[in-house]
Amino acid sequence: MMESCKKERRPKDSPEERIILIGNPNVGKSVIFNYLTGKYVTVSNYPGTTVEVATGAMAAHGKKYQVVDTPGINSLIPMSEDEKVTRDILLKEPFTHLVQVIDAKNLRRGLLISLQLLEMELPFLTLLNMWDEAKSRGIEINLQNLSKHLGMPVLRAVATRRKGLEKIHENLRDQAPAPFSISYPEAIEAGVSRIVSLLPESPLSGRSLALMLLSGDQSLAGWLHRNLPEEMISRIEAICRETQVHFIDPVGYLINQVRLRKVDEILSQVMKSAKGLPITFSVTLGNLMIHPFWGIPILLSILFLTYEFVGVFGAQISVDFLEETVFGEWLLPPVTEFFHRVLPIPFLQELLIGPYGVLTMALTYAIAIVLPIVGCFFLIFGLMEDSGYLPRLAVMTNEIFKKMGLNGKAVLPMVLGLGCDTMATMTTRILDTEKDRTIVTLLLALGVPCSAQLGVILGMFAGLPILYLLIWATLIAGIIVIVGYLAARILPGESSDFILEIPPLRIPQLSNIAVKTLARLEWYLKEAVPLFILGTLFLFTLHQTKTLTLLERAATPLIVHLLGLPVKATEAFIVGFLRRDYGAAGLFVLAKEGALDSRQVLVSLVTITLFIPCIAQFFMMIKERGWKKTFYIAAVVFPIAFGVGGILNILLRFLGL
Amino acid sequence: MRWGDRRDIEEERIDEILELIWTLRERGVSDLDQLLEETKGLEAKSILRTMIRDGLFEVEGNRVILKERGEEKAREIIRRHRLTERLLSEIFEISEEEVEQEACKLEHILSPGVTDSVCTFLGHPPTCIHGKPIPRGECCSKFKKEMKPLVIPLEELGLGEEGRIVFIAPRSHQRLDRLSALGIVPGSILRMHQKNPSYVLQIGETTLALDSEVVRDIYVKKV
Repeated sequence: MMESCKKERRPKDSPEERIILIGNPNVGKSVIFNYLTGKYVTVSNYPGTTVEVATGAMAAHGKKYQVVDTPGINSLIPMSEDEKVTRDILLKEPFTHLVQVIDAKNLRRGLLISLQLLEMELPFLTLLNMWDEAKSRGIEINLQNLSKHLGMPVLRAVATRRKGLEKIHENLRDQAPAPFSISYPEAIEAGVSRIVSLLPESPLSGRSLALMLLSGDQSLAGWLHRNLPEEMISRIEAICRETQVHFIDPVGYLINQVRLRKVDEILSQVMKSAKGLPITFSVTLGNLMIHPFWGIPILLSILFLTYEFVGVFGAQISVDFLEETVFGEWLLPPVTEFFHRVLPIPFLQELLIGPYGVLTMALTYAIAIVLPIVGCFFLIFGLMEDSGYLPRLAVMTNEIFKKMGLNGKAVLPMVLGLGCDTMATMTTRILDTEKDRTIVTLLLALGVPCSAQLGVILGMFAGLPILYLLIWATLIAGIIVIVGYLAARILPGESSDFILEIPPLRIPQLSNIAVKTLARLEWYLKEAVPLFILGTLFLFTLHQTKTLTLLERAATPLIVHLLGLPVKATEAFIVGFLRRDYGAAGLFVLAKEGALDSRQVLVSLVTITLFIPCIAQFFMMIKERGWKKTFYIAAVVFPIAFGVGGILNILLRFLGL
Repeated sequence: MRWGDRRDIEEERIDEILELIWTLRERGVSDLDQLLEETKGLEAKSILRTMIRDGLFEVEGNRVILKERGEEKAREIIRRHRLTERLLSEIFEISEEEVEQEACKLEHILSPGVTDSVCTFLGHPPTCIHGKPIPRGECCSKFKKEMKPLVIPLEELGLGEEGRIVFIAPRSHQRLDRLSALGIVPGSILRMHQKNPSYVLQIGETTLALDSEVVRDIYVKKV
């Protein structure tokens, strides 16, 4: 959690007025947010969640405002963590103004939220964004008429071209809207009025809260328990049950249907749309990207470009420059020199600048090796996100991931894993359910080699017939699928449904991507770097206490007898856990010296790929998944790595390869 | 009332015998011996006599021949029975055993109007779940020009075709809620954009990608 959340919780510290932006996903909230706030932005996790909320400052007419960009929502009855955060901001955080952003093309879905805001009796300003796109599709909306229906000001805008945004602060409202109500079936209305009489004071209208409760909104439970005695809560629960008895369909569904009918009624009076979409280049390209045939070459070329940028430019060119030139030549020698002179205590010298030192290892590793890879990845990721390719990628890969009990969204952390598994473990947060996150964390730990390791592995296979590389790749891919398949069946909990909105393909706005990438890099520096330091300290302790040598001796039988490798390979495996590329590099040196034959190379590489990742990833797993799950994951990964390695060893010997 | 009960039971027995004559005929059997063998119960003989008296069928030598009134009655019973079977097994996913039991009860009580509605709802199916023909009704001939079912699973909607959602039968409330927040509720119009590698649907100006598992819950009527 970052600083800014704490400030959010104490609004009295900030005298300025607060503006909250709200709306469906992909309606251009962030672009508007960036326009309003400029560069003073902090992106932080909403307290207790992994959802990002951006906060920024804005000044207009001599007044200072604080602007909050909320996660996109489809309903104010939360069905995802994102939606819960947005609803909670409305429910718990004091604010003065509310701006609802609607994609003018998708007025129907936007109005569904407007109606809920009206029911909450909140004042708001509606901004119909992407007015140009709607117009080019032959959609006409009568703003005055719509404004009359809602009793709230309605503006049109084209945020990407900064049109119409200047009118926002003139139209901010703070008085409550005129009473507005939709009538629901009688039994529901009866339930509403009974619940309203039991509810405590709140910034949202009792009616809207009662409707949420009748809809079966579980996410309100925490708030209820803080504000009402137990006995009242059970009375409310009883009313909800009694109301449901009247209907076959869930009450929440009925409520939503009534709202949609109201929306359709308003739409018929304010919107006209011409049939027939003009086929533009971006529509055609967007369709090709998810085409069952053409989508594949497009996917492959985008993955190739990503690899070229992240794997070659980031992981090789930038890393070489940063590690060897910047750190190796410019920074570390003078720093080492400096400490040698200033700190005459050998223990401290070792701690800071020794082979397992905080500066020489942890920071070099985190800044010179991982940062450029992750930075490049975030840039590409931002481009994919803003252009609308990301959901299309998920459409293309859904079938593959379905076999592993996951859905297409899981492609992202898995691809990032090829860069850095530690970061990838952190980004499992984008997945919808804890079950999905656990499976991906497991698969990352088990079978996805990071770029550091991959480089050395490919280098070692280069000296062998191509068959060996193919055996390695098939084996690893097969194990990932099988373990995923089994994990999906064994692990308790819900897998998430694959229901994904595909926004139109757009040209991304570079300033927006820059802001996002920087915010994510800040996140990396604050959350991942400390773990690299912790890992190094752990390794340092092992080294200082000579435990490292003991461990090596203990593991020798496993390596020599089971895997049939030379004694010296033990060191590579242990160091491999502590620093991934060192492990593979250790084997590389052995192979070069001729200490490994081709069978041993294959066995050792398969084992080290499946072997537990580096120690930083191990700590990240503990941080994200907790001790217990990390322990279970380790208990799965170790036997698989050595089991598969052992079986492969026996098989290859038997076949005489 | 007692007399009425007896009367009803007799009616049901008559219905069942007509049904039997029809199905035997489908198997190419129409001799009286076979019919007598398959009708059990003490009253069978007397009911058969009543039926002959009422002009439902006649016996020529050993051959049973349905008369016009009997033919029509039998046809309607068979139609009701087989349509019910389809409805129960396909829409309500009831086990075959139970389907048989329930169909035997419902075949006696469905009104002609309801029968035609069921037939229309199912899209005028030509055969029952066991592959035997369902006698055509009036509603079918009205619909003869385009023999397409009215309500089809969304997955059967052709590429580029539009359908109005008739009902959603989700396996979880949460899924229903998520769909409804995206505007996928009965009455909304969807366009099938693509079926592979995932389902892609257009609703208004929104494009959605859905898993086949979710699509299977949605039923539409072509527009």
